[in-house]
Amino acid sequence: MNRHPRARWALAAALAIVLSACNQYAPDTIFGAHSQFGHDVDQLTRRLLYMGIAVFVLVETALIFAVFKFRARPGAPPAVQTHGNATLEITWTIIPAVILAFIAVPSIQTIFRTQSEPPADALQIEVIGHQWWWEFKYPQYNFTTANELYVESGRPVAFALKTQDVLHSFWIPQLSGKRDLISNRTNHLWFTPDSIGAYNGFCAEFCGASHANMRFKVFAVSAAQFAEYVAHQQTGPVYPVPVDSATAVKTTAAKGAKPAPAPAPAPALTAAMTNTGTWPLDQLPKHVIPATPLPPGSVDTVAGDAARGAAFFKTAACIGCHTVKGVSFGVIGPNLTHIGSRTTIASGLYPNDHAHLVAWIKNAPAMKPGSQMMALGMGAAAAGGYTDQQIADIAAYLSALK
Amino acid sequence: MATIVAPPSVARHQARYETGIWSWLATTDHKRIGKLYLYTSLLWFFVGGLEALLIRTQLWGPNGRFVTAETYNQLFTMHGTTMVFLVIMPFSAAFFNFLIPLQIGARDVAFPRLNAFSYWVFLLGGVFMNVSWLLHAAPDAGWFGYAPLTTKAYAPGINIDFWVLGLQILGLSSLAAAFNFITTIINLRAPGMDFMKMPVFTWMSFVTQFLLALSFPIITVAVTFLMLDRFYGTNFYTIAAGADPLLWQHLFWLFGHPEVYILILPAFGLVSEVLPIFSRKPLFGYSVMVYSAMVIAFLGFGVWAHHMFAVGMGRVADSAFAIMTMLIGIPTGVKIFNWIGTLWGGRLRFTTAMKFAIALIALFTIGGISGVMHSSPPSDLQQTDSYFIVAHFHYVLFGGSMMGLFAGLYFYYPKITGRLMSEKIGTVHFWMTFIGMNLTFFPMHFLGLNGMPRRTWTYDANQGWEMSNQMATVGAYLLGAATLLFAYNWFSSMKKGPVAGNDPWGAATLEWSIPSPPPDYNFAVIPTVTSRTPLWGADPGPGPVTYPAPAGNAAPPKTAAQLHITMPTATIKPLIAALGLGVMFTGLIWHKNMPVMLAGAAIFVASLYNWLLTPLEPEHH
Repeated sequence: MNRHPRARWALAAALAIVLSACNQYAPDTIFGAHSQFGHDVDQLTRRLLYMGIAVFVLVETALIFAVFKFRARPGAPPAVQTHGNATLEITWTIIPAVILAFIAVPSIQTIFRTQSEPPADALQIEVIGHQWWWEFKYPQYNFTTANELYVESGRPVAFALKTQDVLHSFWIPQLSGKRDLISNRTNHLWFTPDSIGAYNGFCAEFCGASHANMRFKVFAVSAAQFAEYVAHQQTGPVYPVPVDSATAVKTTAAKGAKPAPAPAPAPALTAAMTNTGTWPLDQLPKHVIPATPLPPGSVDTVAGDAARGAAFFKTAACIGCHTVKGVSFGVIGPNLTHIGSRTTIASGLYPNDHAHLVAWIKNAPAMKPGSQMMALGMGAAAAGGYTDQQIADIAAYLSALK
Repeated sequence: MATIVAPPSVARHQARYETGIWSWLATTDHKRIGKLYLYTSLLWFFVGGLEALLIRTQLWGPNGRFVTAETYNQLFTMHGTTMVFLVIMPFSAAFFNFLIPLQIGARDVAFPRLNAFSYWVFLLGGVFMNVSWLLHAAPDAGWFGYAPLTTKAYAPGINIDFWVLGLQILGLSSLAAAFNFITTIINLRAPGMDFMKMPVFTWMSFVTQFLLALSFPIITVAVTFLMLDRFYGTNFYTIAAGADPLLWQHLFWLFGHPEVYILILPAFGLVSEVLPIFSRKPLFGYSVMVYSAMVIAFLGFGVWAHHMFAVGMGRVADSAFAIMTMLIGIPTGVKIFNWIGTLWGGRLRFTTAMKFAIALIALFTIGGISGVMHSSPPSDLQQTDSYFIVAHFHYVLFGGSMMGLFAGLYFYYPKITGRLMSEKIGTVHFWMTFIGMNLTFFPMHFLGLNGMPRRTWTYDANQGWEMSNQMATVGAYLLGAATLLFAYNWFSSMKKGPVAGNDPWGAATLEWSIPSPPPDYNFAVIPTVTSRTPLWGADPGPGPVTYPAPAGNAAPPKTAAQLHITMPTATIKPLIAALGLGVMFTGLIWHKNMPVMLAGAAIFVASLYNWLLTPLEPEHH
């Protein structure tokens, strides 16, 4: 070995590269998938990989052998002038063809298996891509959510994939391969998640400024938990504030006229309202907790008041784009009915807490390049803008929308 | 040949074009045009490489903020566009220009002025596209610019306009060159050189020209639709008007897949020249090499939709394109085996050129194997648009095309410049490139398999992607340093390198029978060819391992005039015609400025008219 320092260097470099593969923390790996589709693909990919490695070893061994064996040595007779060999040519045409046949057959079998019709009782989810977030509709249960997808372990799930604007691609490496979202078309994908887990999802087709920030989270939960989740999502916003009371009190106090009408009593909380069925925050694996840093200069010093926020929300710019069931009807941005029970905001980019919500409302484009949500903070907005107190109130209200 | 006899004034003009800057601006000499292509590509190689380094710096750690998302998107778009259209293609064109006439025993290409025009249009296209950086409006929709992201509704700025028009300009250049070389190879071969005696590089180039001539019209149509959409409000890709975005994808990849072979076949040709010379035996399976290239080119038009498995074409289409794609692996594998067969039993001499050629075999094999992995649609669904694909095509384009081009650059340096490049620096350059290349691109396989999507400005922490990204970044800087070393070697050897003589490698084909650098007329007497390896003679070939000693300063070859050889006249008109085109396109991007566009068209037409009336060759003396 000492006689070949270069070879030693090359070996060391190759080892370093291979060792990086042994870096075992790979939460988004395509191997060891958690769905039947994933297992089919996994099996096929492994077959391809092992055959590929075998071919690699064979070819590179032959090459390296030739390089060392046939190097020019002084006094050697001239090389025999071969021009070719028909038998060899036919052999090394046929061998790859045979290898490829062993790849083609299982490939086509897998195509037909994974692209078959989904079972009739599959969970139906409509996925709508937007620049740069994900809308998820559950037509069987009649609710809409965004950026966090709940599926039931053991139950087939069939996606109808659409896009509101440019192309996107729906990819959950741990569950299945990609499927593109194509303008003016509906695409289809189905698989059966087979274990409980939290996974990362990505947009895999370049879609503009924040393509890298178009992420989502997938929670595959038990049948019982999924039923709780659905029941909760079907209720209205859980924050039980009678949204008119605060403003009503203020107005009447100012005018000093008729006594204020008694605030409507808060509706009683049912089990479906308090039990969100969502993934417990304290049990989130670290790979689904976003670590995106806040832009420099983000401050969050003002405490918000949810009641004031609820009142202000109704007259604020928010309602132009966002739906809170029973409160507002905007459809441009994500549905916020149950925003408080999500783990992330801004399409999986930031944790869902007061500080991040405040920073986001103040200046979304600074948090996420190209964001179509305008900056609303005083000084950040194009015209006017809301005070820190107003924004803190809205954030408190949103956090309360469990 | 000259049917129009030039007036005496032409001779006076010619004197001006023999030296200095004019000798380059007005040249119609294929060797000078080849050098222009070469140096221009080298310049863009540095630009594209710098873009790559900025990309890799941004991706060093999670949540990087070295550049903004918008800048990053411009960087990767321009890196891809530059490396494909402004580096690998014109590097190959440099070799087509310099080598094809020399290899077939011709004095120039069939249409020397069209050749000059192709170069100037290429230069213009590159400059046009890169001017966008100065306006902070570089294209930003990826090198395959999927609609509708490129339509006005989603890309209102002029970024995409630069890309659309730049591709149009570059397409003109490639098409003109393709017809020129097809004509040259068919018509200008030396007596006795039938098709199956052509050097393999010329063969690979010949096949490539057909790929260019057949695939560039397709991208031209695709890009023209987009241009009409963007500038004149048509609705080919307007989704609000019901357009199907897959129209673009089908057209683009119908061009884009043959384009892959346009990028790789010339490198295969160069390697097929280098390996036999330094193995001291002829290419193993010459005819199989030729036929396999034709099969690759033919099948290359039938596999485009394997870039689109994720769009949901259905089971039958997926299966059909999978099988076609796997089939193309067979002729490609055959080439690899034949190269190893060439080495087998040889007397190998490891010059830098040889090292790069062997590295191509080693690295292209990896790209080929990962390519077969994507040919299987279910497997591809997990790999496409992830870093696994990025790893794959860099093994093909860097491990394949660039390694082959480097082999060619070292091998033909003495023919181009008359001197030898430093083998010592060359060896260092090789190892830095080889290690840097693997360090950059091998970890990307793992990144892709571990779920990292491509074209992402940044990535989150806690995904296990840090280490591979850092290795890739280190590798990229190593590659950058290697390329600087290469440039140093190139330029310093021009002064300091030993004088090469006609044939420093003991090579076999016609280009090595003439002085280095060749005189403008190439061959004082057009040779008659009787074998594939005319300088080696018939069997038993090149004899023992002897290499001609580097020659001293030989007497300069006689001039064309002394030998009474008529060469095409130099003329500035192709350059002016290209400039006219440039003015037209500038007018278009400049808010459709009609007077500017008309002025450009007028310059173009007037220059063409003038060009057609200028005799090709001077008066005979």
